[in-house]
Amino acid sequence: MRQYNWMLVGIVLAVALMIVGHSGVKSVAGDAALTVVPDKTALSPELIKQPVQFKGTGFEPGETAVVEMVLPKGVTVKTVAEGENVGLAFGDVDDKGAFVAKMAPTATLNWFFQTEWTKDMKPNLKEAKPLPPGTYEIVATGMPSGKTAKATLEILKPAPKTEK
Amino acid sequence: MRRDRIRWLLVWLAFALLGCVSPLTSAQAIAKEVAFLDLSDFTGPVAGLTVPASSGLEDYIKSVNEKGGVEGVKIKYIGVDTRYDVARTISAFKRYARDPQVVAMGICSTPAGKMLQRLTREQPIVCTVPGDGEFQAHLGNFFTWGPTYQDAFAATIDWVLKDWKEKGKEGDPSIAVLSWDNAYGREMLRGGKEYAEKKGVKVLKSELFPTGTLKYDIYLSRLAEAGANYVYVGGVDPTQTNIMRDATRLGLTKDIKFISDYWGPTALGTSLHPEALEGMVVVSFFLRGEDAQNNEMMKKFWTTYRKRPMKEMNGGYAIGLGLGMSLEAAIKDAIKRVGPDKLTRDEIYKSYQNITGLDRQGVVGPVAYAPKVRRASDVVKFYVVKSGKIIPITDWVEAPNAVALHKWE
Repeated sequence: MRQYNWMLVGIVLAVALMIVGHSGVKSVAGDAALTVVPDKTALSPELIKQPVQFKGTGFEPGETAVVEMVLPKGVTVKTVAEGENVGLAFGDVDDKGAFVAKMAPTATLNWFFQTEWTKDMKPNLKEAKPLPPGTYEIVATGMPSGKTAKATLEILKPAPKTEK
Repeated sequence: MRRDRIRWLLVWLAFALLGCVSPLTSAQAIAKEVAFLDLSDFTGPVAGLTVPASSGLEDYIKSVNEKGGVEGVKIKYIGVDTRYDVARTISAFKRYARDPQVVAMGICSTPAGKMLQRLTREQPIVCTVPGDGEFQAHLGNFFTWGPTYQDAFAATIDWVLKDWKEKGKEGDPSIAVLSWDNAYGREMLRGGKEYAEKKGVKVLKSELFPTGTLKYDIYLSRLAEAGANYVYVGGVDPTQTNIMRDATRLGLTKDIKFISDYWGPTALGTSLHPEALEGMVVVSFFLRGEDAQNNEMMKKFWTTYRKRPMKEMNGGYAIGLGLGMSLEAAIKDAIKRVGPDKLTRDEIYKSYQNITGLDRQGVVGPVAYAPKVRRASDVVKFYVVKSGKIIPITDWVEAPNAVALHKWE
């Protein structure tokens, strides 16, 4: 019986080591942190002028941080395959391990509003399919360190139109 | 009993060690399929340019696989729609960054190229990019699609001098750039300006405008007042079409010759707005217009894989075929050197520098890539838009190395 216990320990150890060995993305336990500013917003054209920002700390100095949105089940974004995250912004990590990344207008239009584009390279907001309201997980990953930090962004319901 | 325990433990530790080692092994020795990651814009503002190029590449890869692959090694085409967004490009790159099957990749944006250059510095992977001269100035793993933007500008200077002389004009001609206000819009003068001045062509102050601009009167009027004889137009069509529309309306096309860079009118643009583009000259590293329509290879690929009428083929399709031929040749070279089971990113990178002189059936110039060359070719052709058609006005001509004239940081 004891022999089987040892066998079990061996299997568990082997599987654990294989998982670590095969892991494509570095899993780094660290103190990286992420803040989304603002962490709650309704989708409006104001986001082009004042885009959502991401502030991170605890990353490796000199690396690049890429900020992605994890799509909840049932939410689809044009051109993004199921299970894939949506790249929202990126930033250079400074010598203190911090970064600030703003969403570019193309990112806000492509991923929040899911706009189409005209042949004159203008966004066609009439064809837009904005993300549904809800809470979205945001992940920042340091490249190449693999350090990650998470936060959330809540997309609010649009304010009701006031009658003039 | 104790011996049994130790034996079991040793057996399982051996398995575990194999498990740890195998990622290294798989990164170095890949199965008989390699992948090309195409981070392109299938939708979005510049899709009109990038879709034909990506289609050409995808079709060329299909043709290679249908013949059994390169010496038995199949190529997987992975296309990701980046929608002209750098964050999306980096995010997509991250997804495949550690996939050893992906041995080369392509992007279509200059700003994304500058970011990815940093991210791939330590683990180089071949990355094909449109035409930024910086990649020739600072040798690395980025390979341009054709001669760099400044080389094309230098070739244009040679054409301008010939045109000026043929028209019997006296004195020195002047030229100005009218382009997007971004890194791409300035790139052609980093070496191109030095070449022009060396040849006695005066370079006037550029007029740069935001992408998506629809009216160009103010920029055109300023260029006319500055005395421009030639205007070199950057941007992706319909930018050129809109500029020519306004220039014609302002009566400027009589005295100023407008020349477009690579991303100007194609067969599609001229079919939509032939009158606006009449007389515009285009410098190109790939066949376009009548040349493209009559090229046997392009006809064969377009009708076989796209199954559409030839009149719908955009000249940009040639870019993809050219990229495909280079990729196939590099894989073939790597197989010859290290065998089909060791096609790593490093080996493909070395092989891209080994395919110098590869003939690409005239759809683009012969390959110029070499240990110290990252430009795809050394030649361009000039075309003119006439009665809605894009007609060649030169054969392939040399695109001088203007990158070397610039003082790079």
